[in-house]
Parts: sequence; structure tokens; C-alpha cells
Amino acid sequence: MATQIHTVDAGALMARVALLIDQGRPNAARPLLSAVRGLTPPSSALSELAARLALSDGMLEDTERDLDAAIAADPDHAGLRKCRAELRRRAGDLENATRDAAEAVIADRTDIQAKALLGVLLHDIGRPADAAACLREAVAAAPADPAYREALARALAQQGGPDTALATLQDGIAIVPAAASLRNAAILLCIQHRDFTQAEGIGEQARLAGAADAATFGLRGHALSSLGRHADAALAYADALKLAPADPYVRHLAAAAGIAASAARAPEDYVRALFDGYAVRFDQHLISLGYRIPGLIRRHADAFAHAAPIGPVLDLGCGTGMLAVALSDLPIGPFTGIDLSPAMLAEAEAKGLYADLRQADLPAALSDEVDPTTWRLIVAADLMCYFGALEDMLASVHARLTPAGRFIFSVEALLPDHDGALPGNGDWSLGRMGRYAHTAGYITAAAASHGFTLIALNHEALRHEAGGPVAGLIVVLERPLTDA
Amino acid sequence: MPDGTSGSRLAPIQLLNQAISLAHAGQSETARDLMREVADRLPDWDEPPLRLAGSLGGSPEAAAAWRAALAINPNRDQTLLGFAAVLMAAGQPREAIGPLLRCCGLTPNQHDAWRALGQAYLDSDQPRHALGAFARAQAIRPNSFALIHSLVLAAIASGQAEREASRQIALSVRDPLNPIPHLIHGLILDRLGLLDPAIDAIEAAVALAPDAREPIALLGGVLARTARARPAEAALRDALLLDPENPQLLNDRAAVLMRLHRHAEARNLLREVAHRNGPHSSVLCNLANATCCLGAQDEAVELARAAIALDPCAVLPRRSLANTMPYQDHVNGVALLKAARDCAALLPRGDLPPIEKPDRSGQKLTIGLLSGTLRTHPVGWLTVAGFEHLDQDQFDIVCLSRAPEQNDPISRRFHRIARAWENVSALDDDALARRARALGIDILIDFGGHGDAARMAACARRLAPVQIKWVGMQNHSTGLPEMDWFLTDRWETPSGLESLYSERLLRLTDGYVCYSPPAHAPDVAPLPMLHNEFVTFGCFNNIAKITPRAIAAWCHILHAVPRSRLILKTHQFGDPPTVQRFQTHFTGHGIDASRVEMRGSSPHRAFLASYHEIDIVLDPFPYSGGLTTCEALWMGVPTVTLPGEIFASRHSASHLSNAGYPDWVARDLDDYIGLAIRKAADPNGLARLRAGMRAQTRASPLCDAPRFGQSLARALRHAWDAT
Repeated sequence: MATQIHTVDAGALMARVALLIDQGRPNAARPLLSAVRGLTPPSSALSELAARLALSDGMLEDTERDLDAAIAADPDHAGLRKCRAELRRRAGDLENATRDAAEAVIADRTDIQAKALLGVLLHDIGRPADAAACLREAVAAAPADPAYREALARALAQQGGPDTALATLQDGIAIVPAAASLRNAAILLCIQHRDFTQAEGIGEQARLAGAADAATFGLRGHALSSLGRHADAALAYADALKLAPADPYVRHLAAAAGIAASAARAPEDYVRALFDGYAVRFDQHLISLGYRIPGLIRRHADAFAHAAPIGPVLDLGCGTGMLAVALSDLPIGPFTGIDLSPAMLAEAEAKGLYADLRQADLPAALSDEVDPTTWRLIVAADLMCYFGALEDMLASVHARLTPAGRFIFSVEALLPDHDGALPGNGDWSLGRMGRYAHTAGYITAAAASHGFTLIALNHEALRHEAGGPVAGLIVVLERPLTDA
Repeated sequence: MPDGTSGSRLAPIQLLNQAISLAHAGQSETARDLMREVADRLPDWDEPPLRLAGSLGGSPEAAAAWRAALAINPNRDQTLLGFAAVLMAAGQPREAIGPLLRCCGLTPNQHDAWRALGQAYLDSDQPRHALGAFARAQAIRPNSFALIHSLVLAAIASGQAEREASRQIALSVRDPLNPIPHLIHGLILDRLGLLDPAIDAIEAAVALAPDAREPIALLGGVLARTARARPAEAALRDALLLDPENPQLLNDRAAVLMRLHRHAEARNLLREVAHRNGPHSSVLCNLANATCCLGAQDEAVELARAAIALDPCAVLPRRSLANTMPYQDHVNGVALLKAARDCAALLPRGDLPPIEKPDRSGQKLTIGLLSGTLRTHPVGWLTVAGFEHLDQDQFDIVCLSRAPEQNDPISRRFHRIARAWENVSALDDDALARRARALGIDILIDFGGHGDAARMAACARRLAPVQIKWVGMQNHSTGLPEMDWFLTDRWETPSGLESLYSERLLRLTDGYVCYSPPAHAPDVAPLPMLHNEFVTFGCFNNIAKITPRAIAAWCHILHAVPRSRLILKTHQFGDPPTVQRFQTHFTGHGIDASRVEMRGSSPHRAFLASYHEIDIVLDPFPYSGGLTTCEALWMGVPTVTLPGEIFASRHSASHLSNAGYPDWVARDLDDYIGLAIRKAADPNGLARLRAGMRAQTRASPLCDAPRFGQSLARALRHAWDAT
């Protein structure tokens, strides 16, 4: 049945469908696409529209099959190739996605979007130099497109060129002053390279130019906190919170600055985003910060190894694998590492010290259902500072230890404020840098209540930050031979 | 009987044809006589009585005539339909069902019969049957616009809305080029309060039928009820191209133009409608609103009174009067309270049972926020921070609003703190009151007053055992006996003004609002007077507030402060004729046009940045600045204000006192003029004041959200305990 009661132009309808997809209104586009199908025979352009619609609303069922058929019939159609590249990228098939993007570029050398997509995919598959070459062309052709510039900056930064990356972003800011995303990318880049002064400066310029969004205020607050300007940071976080009241990252930072109620742990996305950004230079930073935790943990692991053979070791929150480096000459191992950040895990893998690396959330990854393996030694360097309440973590670790197995970990120490009162709930508190700190009394009590024997609890300076040592605790707990 | 027409000489069929011709020629009585004659001669032929019945139209004898025709031939569809139509017109839809059922049985493919049957069922409160009949009619003629509204009504009334919406989607899949299923689907979604999907569906119908009147007009109507005034205006303009004299479309477009602050265009359009179609109260109400917003307050009040005279029992004109009076010079509290009471008295109360106040000692109270403006809007800016700091262990927040706006930061803030968010935009007043009661709301706070998005009629039915009026068209008392409390402070309603309010006054410890300054506000700039070497006064308020008396006072000040200037900035000054009209007000007082600059609107950050050019704000009166005064404080600019008797006249006095600047509040008109002149003569003092104003305002109770949250909590608990 086809009731056409008014003259409708198929071309005009197709243009309308494309516009609605671009406006992010797939539900408005869908009925018109079916109307177009009733008006015109199948074509590559129609298949491309259908694929774009599916990509825009995530209803991808059958889309790959339809695209395969359409590309088989018209293999040189750049639009179809771009769609399949995007589809495959979402499915994690980066190699074939890259191939499609490359075909799209070959099919239409003037298609800037195809070049940019190829650049992003080359970056994703670890070819930053090729990625940068593609993205440079995209940026040259569309200098005012923030997304192309941000992708180019990421590729350049990965190649080890933070200055060139920053220059690319700064050029973009000059061309499109209102693009907050470019400014945010520039601030993040500076934070990742620990240039907090410049990060703060770019954030302030964004604020004065009226081109600041919630992320700008949040990142500027982060930079201000890192510079020790806590009052200014609190104002920045408050502004971030006004614009993005439910954003977990912003809320976490605001809670850290003491202006919003804190959750019992840092949001998973925050931890992942922060450390994905840091990964490449993490080791250098730790060392330059006088980061002593791996060495301190090594001391206790060494003593334990002398007492009895240890065998496999589980490294919780392994990050870039610093702890395995520190423990690598001891008669222990092999190592299994768990971390939330894929970028960190990639760095850890490059060290070649882990038998197994898993991307997973903690303590969920320790449940019986996920993996019932038990360990003689479990270590966690600089992990507990992303948790407030430690009960769940301690219970989970206890279940994964063999009898007489040990858990060695670091925490940041919660110290009284200048008025003598303990911040937070008296057991733990979220600090201004976004990390949790805990009291020795809380650790002792929580360990005992979960059936651990306290072997050691040493007060140590963990590292230097903002001109002073960061007080911490190195804790050694043992699961008794027989549980009480 | 005309010459040469003698019934008896002609054959009956000829005679009947002659009668029909005469009827067409307007000679009804003669025609009917002939029809009766033919009927007498051939008593078994049903055509003459059928023609006779048809010619009787809606007259009292028509039903008997149809019955006579049916007595001869009970199976003729035309007769059955005609008889049913007469019964329907006589308010007897139930009686029409029988003939219509028979008609549908005899001619099952007749669209008009099924449609009439649907209408008969709908009018006799049998919406489920109505829906079935309309569905048959739609199947017979799938491209007819005629039944869409009735079908939607039946779907809603029968509780089958979702199912019917799905059926229409299925129809659209089978018949993808037909706009009708999309249109019906969209209208159902609209009735369910799902505005965005409704717009998607109706837009599809517009794309499929670009030259049809109905879809584009309906799209304009739905868009007009969203925050998307610009596309609404475009759609209504397109609809008017197809149907240029449709008064409803013209009125709707004028209302949307007002929301776009294009009041002068709106006023012209409304005057045209009133001129063409004669005065109508709803058109006059819109005209009163547009006129007030153009700064002609006296004329606006007269228009509202004229609307009342046309329709004395209608709420809308009373609302119009209550909303225009506060802007008028010399308004007083007694008169305004009376206008509000007159309006509130006309609101229907419905038949809900009285509401019980439960015992909540030691328990949380559920606070319902009733508003369509929980977003970037004065209501949002002045209340959200307070609610964010209301103790969650003592209070739950439930928002009764329209759907939250994902792209609006203040809407997101409300959404984050709300335990529940009810989209009540599609609920009528009775359904809203029932829903609020079912949600167990203890204290209802109203943010709509008697404004455009008002739900006062729902408040009149009682949504909660305790009802409080707060910000949002809070220009004075609501006059509603069911509104128990009026949230205020000691500056807004000093002791002694209680008798001007129908509500009990619920005074907070500090000011009655908590301002949440925007993150995007520019920094405070140095005092412009220091480098200009002349004083710049400013007023960035809506020109509805700028009265002849305020203009006279400002001219007095401009005369007294040599070389001083005045910058007025608000939406309506984007309209050149409005600027010219206002210029003449000033030149009439001997002020050279070069000294008064009128600027149109700008984006909010640029609007705030315009305070960089202002040394001192001159508050309008009697309706003072509210959020505008808070924004001026945030931008380092103090406001000279003249509070009066009514609530709307005292906002600036409250905000200035709350922020620690009570010395900017004048006692009387002479003091207002003197204060502005004295303050302008002290550039160093002003510069110092300006440099510290943002920090002082931030630290003051005006912006101290935690302190405000505690004060609000105490007030709400008191209201609960003392009601």
C-alpha cells in the first residue's frame, strides 16, 4: 500500500534525512528514510544513509550485512567504506576498519573526513607517524575543525612531540576561539606532562574568553590543586559542578576540594581517563617525584620470600608495571597484573615482566565467580588511594589469599588538620588531589575485622609533592593458617 | 406557489425535482409544501420524506421527518446518517448509535458512517468503541485528515494511547508515504506529554505532505509549547502561508513572537486579528500582554479590563489583569490582592476529596516543586542552589515539571537532586492534582503563579496538605485560599503588610532567594566613570517595568548630573520603532537623545559584560528588578531602588539588603533621585565599592547556599508544623 497524497520529491526527502541524522535526530529521520525507499530504487546513496542512521542511533543489527552487500556491488563508494570503517571500529575490528578507511581515501582523495578517519584509526592501531600524516592533511584542508586537530594532537603527543601537539591545539584555538574542546585538549596535554602552570594559564584564558565548559573548569581546578592553590581550585570545581552537576569526574574533583559530598570510591571512568592520559610518562614521573612505594614494598616482599617460597604474584592496580620492575630480581613470580586502564596495561606489557595482564575493575575482578585462583602474595602499590572505604577490597583480597599468604600494600596517611580534627569521617577522607587517605587505626581495625593478622604497618614518606613529603603507610597483612 | 406550478398536473418525480430546485433557490417553504404533496401522493416512496427531512436542517421537526422516512425504508444509509446527524446535533449521541450501527452494517465501506459512529460513541463516553469505529474509518480512507483529532481523543480517553500509537507506527510501515499515521502518532505522543518524539512524528508528516495545511499548523502548535520558539515561529509562518487568515494560527504566532521578545510584531498581528474578527477575549489578553511588554502599562490594563467585560466568567482575562497591574504606576496592594482574588475565585475546584495531612514527626518531608521553568530561567537561578543544600536526610524533592532539558545546566542540577521527576505537562489540572496526591507530596511549592505556564487551577484542587508560593510570577499574593504560605523575607514583606496577602507569610532568616551566579560571568571591570569622566547610569530590565513615572525620575537625575548618560538594554529595544517611541519619552523631558542609548538583547555573557560600561543601575518602579539586580551585584554595579507596597516592588530592596548594601534603598521618590545624584558624585567610593562587590556578594547570604539551605529547611518544617 502506498498512499502518496502530496507530491514529495525523493531528493528533498533524502537531503532531509541526512540533515536529521547530522542533527542527531535518528527517530525523525527513520520514517522519512522508509518513505524514500518507497519512492526510489535501491542505491549506494540510500545504503549509505541507512548505515549512517544505524550508526547514529546504535541500532546496528543487520547493518554490517547490508553494508557488505552494498560495498560488494559498489566497492569504490567512499561513503559506504567510511560507514563500514566506523562500524568495524566500534566492533573493535581496527585492522579491517583501517583497511576500509584507506579504501575510502583511495576512492575519493578529496574526502577530508575519510582522511581524518584513517588518521584516527592508524593512531588506534599504533601507527602514530602515519596517523599524524593523514591528520595533518585533514587539518590543512579543514583548519577550523576542532575534532581533526584534537586527533592530530593526540597522534603527535604519542609520537613524543608534546610541544608540536600543543602548538597544533594553540593554532586551532586562535582560529576557533569558541571551541572549548580544543582548549580542554590543550589543558589536558599540559596536565599529562605535568606543566600545571601552563595548564592553569590556558584554563584561565578559556574562562576569560567565555569558552570554558564544565571540563575546562574541572581541569583548571585540577591544575590549580596541583599548584597548591586550593582555594582557587575549589571555586573552579564549584563552577564545573554548576555546569555538569552529575558528571562523576567533576563530582569527584569537587568532592576532593571539599565542596560536594564524596563517594566511597573514585569513579571508574575518572581513574581510567586519568591514567590512560598519564601512562606513557608515568614511570618517569614516579621516579622524578621520588616515588618510593615499589622500593618499600620490595623490602617486605624480599623478607617474605626468604621465609618461604612464594611462586605466582598478583599485582593489583599494576599500572605501567613499576612494581614488577622493582620485584623482578627476587625469586618470586610469575606476575599477573590487573588494572583498569588499557593504556597503562599496554605500558606494563611492554616491560615483558607479566605472564598475564587483565583489564578489569577492582575489587570485582577478585570475586569467586570471576577467578577463584588463590595466591601466596598479593601486592597493591598506590591503589588503595582510589578507594575510601576499604572493607570490600580487604574482604575480596582475603578470599584470594592462600592460608599464610600475604597482602602488601600502600596507603596515604590521613593526618589531622591544623585544628587537630581528622577530616572526612575520621577513618578516611578524600583529599584535594582526588585521592583518599586513611588512618592507621582504621586500617588496623578493618584488617582485624576481615580476619587478617597485622604483620607490619610502617609510616613512610611515599613521595614528594607540592614541595613536601606525602605521608603514607606500608601495610603487610597475613591470612592466618586457619581462619577464625 | 409560483405561477404555472400546480403540483397535481405534474408527475411525482417531476414535482419532486421541482421542489429540489426551489429548495436550492432558497424557496424552502414552497419546496417543502411540494415535497409533502408528493409524499401524500406516493406514501410508500421514501425519497420525498428524506428530501423533506434534509431540507429541515436542524429545526425541531427534522427528527420526526427522518423518522417518517425511516418508517418507509429503514435500510437506506443516507436516511440513517441524516437521522443520526440530527440526533447528534440535538445532544443525543446515545440515540444516534443505533441508526449509525445499522448504516455501517448496510454499507460497511462508508467512511462517513464509521466516522459518525465513532463520534457518537465518543460523545456518549464510550471511547473504546469510538476508537474501533475511527480505526475502520481510517482504514477506508487512509489519507483523510478529517478524523485525526477525534481518533486521538478516543485513544487517550479509552486508555489505549500507547497501543494506538503502535498501531499507527505499523500503518506507517505498511504505507510509508502516507502522512496521516505519522500525524496521529505525533498527536498521541503530544497528549502523552512526549513532546520531542511527537515533534519527530509530526515533522515526518510535514515532510510527506509539504503543501497540506494541517501538518504544518499542528507542528507549529506543538513546537509553540516547547522551549523551541524559533522553529515554532517558522512553522507557524509557513502554516499561515497556506492558511493566511486563520485566527488561531495568527494568535499562536503572536504568542510565539512574544516569547521571542518580538512584542511589537506580535502586537501588530493581534491588532490585525482583533480588527478582522472583532474583539475576542483571548486575543485581547495576548494583546494586553504584548502591550505591557512594550511599556504601555495603562493601555495594557485597559485591554485586560476590556477582555473581562467580554467574558466576565473566564479565568484568562482575570489572569491578564492580575499580571499587568503590578507594572502600572501607582498600583497598590489592596487593588492587586483583589484582582488576584477575583481570578483565583473563578478557578474550578473539581470534586477531589479533602486532603489529609499525615503525621510526619521524625520523618522526611516530600517537597514537590511545581514548575515548567526548572532550568536556565530566573526561577532556576534563584532557587536551585538552595535546594541543592537542603538536608537530604530531612527532605525528598520531587519535580513536577516538563521533561528535563539535557542541555540545560540548571535543569541538570534539579534533575540530580530530585528523587523523582514527573513530566506533568500533559496532565490536566484534575489529573495533576491526583498525580501529586498519589506521589505523597507533603509540601507543594508553586513556581508558576498566575503566569502563562500557571497551574493555579491545579493548586486550587490541592496537590498537597501544605502549599507554598515562591519565585516565578511571584509579583504579589496569589489570592488563592488554598495557597497556605507565601515564602518571603523581612525586606520584601516588612511587618504590617500581612493584610495585603491572602497567604500566611513565611519569612526566611535572610533574603527569600539564593542566587547561583553563572560560571560564564565575565570578571568585574574597573569603574567606567574613572576613564569616561562622565557618569553612566543603566537599567537592563524588561521595558514592561519602565513606567512614565520612572522615566520622569531618571530624566530628573540626568538633568542633575551634568554630561551623565543612561544605557537601557533589553530585548524589546531590538525593535527600532520601540526605540523611537522611548526616545520621545526622554526628549519630552528635555533630555537630548544622545544621552540615552537603547540596546537590544545579547547572549547572556555579553549581556553581563555590558555592566562594564555602567557605574550605577537605576531600578525601575513600581516593578523592581529581581534576577537583574542580582546580576548587577555580581558584575560589581550597585542599584538605586525605590521599594513600594507590593511584593514585586521590593525585590531589589531585598537583594541589596541581603548582600549588605541597604544604603542603596530609597525611602521615597525624592530620596531615590537624591541617592542616585549623591552616589554619582563619589567616584572613589564607587570604585572601592565595585572592586569588592563580587567578593562581598559571594560571601553574603544572597549567595551562601549552605546557609540558605538551612534557613529554607527551617521554614519548610515550620510551615508543615504550623499548617
